[in-house]
Amino acid sequence: MALFPISSKFDGDFVLKLVPVDTDDTMAAVAAAAAEHSVGVHVPDQPGKVIRARAEGAADPYPLDMKLSETGLGPTDTVEFYFE
Amino acid sequence: MALLERSAWYDLARSTEWTPSYISEDELFPPEMSGGEGIPAEVWSTYDEPYKVTYREYVDVQRQKDEGAYSVKAALERADLYNNADPGWVSILKEHYAAVALVEYGASFQEARYVRWSKAPGMRNMATFGMLDEMRHGQIQLYFPHEYVSKDRQFDWSHQMMWSNNWVALGARHFFDDMLMTRGAAETSISANFAFETGFTNLQFIGLSGDAANAGDFTFSKLIQSIQSDEARHAQLGTPLLQMMIENGQKAKAQNLIDIAFWRSYRLFTILSGIPMDYYVPLEVRESSFKEFMEEWIVTQFMKSIEDLGLSKPWYWDIFLRDLDEHHHGQHLGTYSWRPTLWWNPAAGVSPEERDWLEEKYPGWNDTFGKVWDVMIDNFVSGRPEKTVPGTLPMICNVSQLPIVGTPGRSLKDTSIVFEGRKYHFASEVDKWIFEQDPERYKHHKNLIDRFLGGEIQPANLDGVLEYMGLGVVSPGGDDAHNYAWLEAYKTALAPAG
Repeated sequence: MALFPISSKFDGDFVLKLVPVDTDDTMAAVAAAAAEHSVGVHVPDQPGKVIRARAEGAADPYPLDMKLSETGLGPTDTVEFYFE
Repeated sequence: MALLERSAWYDLARSTEWTPSYISEDELFPPEMSGGEGIPAEVWSTYDEPYKVTYREYVDVQRQKDEGAYSVKAALERADLYNNADPGWVSILKEHYAAVALVEYGASFQEARYVRWSKAPGMRNMATFGMLDEMRHGQIQLYFPHEYVSKDRQFDWSHQMMWSNNWVALGARHFFDDMLMTRGAAETSISANFAFETGFTNLQFIGLSGDAANAGDFTFSKLIQSIQSDEARHAQLGTPLLQMMIENGQKAKAQNLIDIAFWRSYRLFTILSGIPMDYYVPLEVRESSFKEFMEEWIVTQFMKSIEDLGLSKPWYWDIFLRDLDEHHHGQHLGTYSWRPTLWWNPAAGVSPEERDWLEEKYPGWNDTFGKVWDVMIDNFVSGRPEKTVPGTLPMICNVSQLPIVGTPGRSLKDTSIVFEGRKYHFASEVDKWIFEQDPERYKHHKNLIDRFLGGEIQPANLDGVLEYMGLGVVSPGGDDAHNYAWLEAYKTALAPAG
């Protein structure tokens, strides 16, 4: 369990944002943390849709229950978030 | 007393030179200070400045320039521009003076380095006048805003900004240290005089001069015209050096220096010129868009001067042309969103009429950047102001030191590398390329995010960041220039029917 910074690239946003999360967080929790700084701030909400996370440029998202520490991401790596 | 005609003595005086006998040439002109390695010794004396001036002539002309600018200022002080001008225009003045005044003073050191270290006698002579120019620019651009300090403490940043850790200061210092202070005299002249001054000072000093006159600020208009008349002269310092490098087999090196300096200058000017021109200048007095100014002064005129020398457009030309439609719009969204980090009050510039203008000048703006503004406007009119300032920091480029922005849904991306175990993020492929040209030069610098994550900013929250950057210390941070009056049209439009 350790504080871990990621770079959030949220679909529809105009800027990469620094988001502090925890290595024990699931990717669903990581997505929620990223959404807090983009959805309803710079990106319109899409109620009822799930926010997914994937490595920048990857085709497939991480499983929602996957822990951040299992993704192989390094500190400040950029993660893409999008409404599914 | 009779004076000799200038032609009778000028060439002898300007080319005063000697051959060292007690020390070596490299001791007199250390390569790391003088630069220009590989240019034969006999070539330096052929440097021929494109203008000739004597000290007597210089002082006389400069006195007249100062007299013109100071007398306009004195005559118009009673007009009380501060209270009568559009607040967006006042913000331009705050941004300009803080970003420019001490940089100009710093540029006097750049010129002084030529005076001592340049191996070309003609350049040493010419740079003496350039050095005096830059002292004048530093002094006059501190004196002019001083009258506003008692009315508005944000004007104190004119003197404080470059000593602070404000994020704009970090970007400006990184840029000017790279371009003005840390290369050999020959290389600096190509980066700073040719690429930066020839191209980009026109943008700020001529581009904004017309807008200033239209906005009724004749003091500022006269001031920056006066400064630009010096810039146009000493900017020519670099051209003879470029010719010498090209003629002596160093065309690739010259091209590389221009490619680096051009991109870095452009990206910095998206903040200094791009945002004000397209968002702060009152709509009714705007002369041209930032993109139109860039097309006139940079794409057409500066590129012609490059091609006349037998050089090429920078390799990233297509990227640059696309960027003109994008980057400064993202930076404006960023500066407005994080407005508490500014020393000026940003104008939003997105009333319905202003959006029509943006859409006309930048087709597609409403469907991209406009959609982000829609979310912010909805928050404002729905009584959620706390949602209009992000609760975290933006990621910052390790070269430009600016937030990493892009067109929403299209071009936002991270460009990163790992070098010697450290991860670096860049705002574009070009910024990454610049880093890779000389990693030793750039690798030690820590951007704002590196400092934040490294524990240098305490407390490690937004309040701590603001204090670190001098907000609430030198002056209050920024808030909407028009006190959100521009939202009235949206409140009416979004009001419930009936």
